[in-house]
Amino acid sequence: MSLKSYSRARAVHVMLVYTGGCNGCDIEIVNCILSPKYDAEQYKVFLTWNPREADVLVVTGPVTRRNEEPLRKMYEAIPEPKVVVAAGACALMGGVYKNIHGDIPSEEIMGPVENIIPVDAKVPGCAVRPEDILSGVVAALPKLLNAK
Amino acid sequence: MDEDNQKTNEKVDRKVIETEISMGPVHPAALEPYRVRLFVEDEIIKDAEITVGVNHRGVERIMEGLPVEKANSLTEKICGICSNSHIWNSCMVAEKALNIEVPERAQYIRIIMEELERMHSHMLYLAHGCEVLGHETLSMRMFYIRETVMELLRMIGGNRVQYGAPIIGGVRPRCELDEMRIQKLKEGMDTVEEKMTEFADRFVSDPMIMSRITGIGTLSQKDAIKLGTSGPTLRATGVEKDLRRDMTVYDPFEFDVITQDDGDVKSNLLVRVFEILESVKIIRQAVAGLPEGKITNRSWEMQDAPITKSYIEVPRGTLYHSYALQDGRVRHSVIRTPSITNIGAMQYACIGQHVTDAQLSIVQCDPCFTCTDRAVKIIRLDK
Repeated sequence: MSLKSYSRARAVHVMLVYTGGCNGCDIEIVNCILSPKYDAEQYKVFLTWNPREADVLVVTGPVTRRNEEPLRKMYEAIPEPKVVVAAGACALMGGVYKNIHGDIPSEEIMGPVENIIPVDAKVPGCAVRPEDILSGVVAALPKLLNAK
Repeated sequence: MDEDNQKTNEKVDRKVIETEISMGPVHPAALEPYRVRLFVEDEIIKDAEITVGVNHRGVERIMEGLPVEKANSLTEKICGICSNSHIWNSCMVAEKALNIEVPERAQYIRIIMEELERMHSHMLYLAHGCEVLGHETLSMRMFYIRETVMELLRMIGGNRVQYGAPIIGGVRPRCELDEMRIQKLKEGMDTVEEKMTEFADRFVSDPMIMSRITGIGTLSQKDAIKLGTSGPTLRATGVEKDLRRDMTVYDPFEFDVITQDDGDVKSNLLVRVFEILESVKIIRQAVAGLPEGKITNRSWEMQDAPITKSYIEVPRGTLYHSYALQDGRVRHSVIRTPSITNIGAMQYACIGQHVTDAQLSIVQCDPCFTCTDRAVKIIRLDK
């Protein structure tokens, strides 16, 4: 194990990107890392808002038209190796905004996230539960840790 | 190019603005995407512009022509923090339009859900506020207290976020309160009251926090009324206005309208702390006096109705929903959330502050950009 991957395994930084969902998933993710009840920080998983120091990108929400470009830029700003986790029904399939409509469908939704950036792990739920997010991030970790 | 750039150029021409600091739409300091432009002179903010519209999903437009039950559950997805308020108000529009009588037990359960939601929303605000202040310990403490409320919501509605209790004519059968649930509610209220009181004591007696938040981001009462703010943001400037006093469903309950005088970050934080304790009072009264009977009135028929309006008090202020009904489908839906005026008022609260206090000044109104971003003008540049 190289020094780089050794240190990476001991400080996984998660960045949360919000692309136009209902805020429910985002608060659950912040809750899951910051709240003393779930407390992902004890497993050395930290929340960051800076793409340059992130390892895992957690994306929530159907990607709105205005958010498509920032999301792509943010994905590019994260250094290799990187892992993308799509969390919530909106990120996985566009959610209610893309799939339910009356007379006219919404033209604002560019999602799901797969259409824009490659996704490594998927976490279903509306809204996602903190336990599921932890297992989703853990499922994506081997790719990050086995990278040379 | 576009309108806001033009305005900046005008300001530069008038030599008002020396430098512009632009943040967003996605920025490490902001939890939700929005754009802030601060026009500064020697680190003192002279003017501010907040642009919303990044999260526009067009909820009102996709509601047009949906069956009313489906449209109601779609309104719940507007906001993950105040989801119950949206679905409650949307159901109230249909009940008002079709003259449906709601059983009293259902109203009590709806109020319990709404007050639980107010508590968790205010707690989230306090946690976020403490994080922006730079005090992570208190923020984590607040998240810990909030878990008690989230567990209660999960117990009643079955989901931690978006519990979907109200339906047209009552509440979902899943949300019926039995003896065990009532017992847990009572225990939860005791825990919340005890821990919130401790938190408030600790918060107010800390000289470091108080000196950081006193006198920052002051919004005068005159400005607050002029700009049409509502909810706790208005009450923090000393105006005694709470729409719950005017709502008939709240008539059986006794509670105080909390006001503070200064209109700064301190007042905003304290108003929310005391409102959580008021919510505890309301839930205790509702649980003690829970009437017997049905929880859903299913004897109603669909018919056409003109545009019907409904206003309620939600954690952030006054929420407005209106729509008309045609063949059981929703037409001309309009939704107006309190955050839009509150965020606008925060542009005024920023003026005269240091750049380091800008984020705190904006966050003090509990902005919810997801709620806000629905009606925006989109300019296509390629045409």
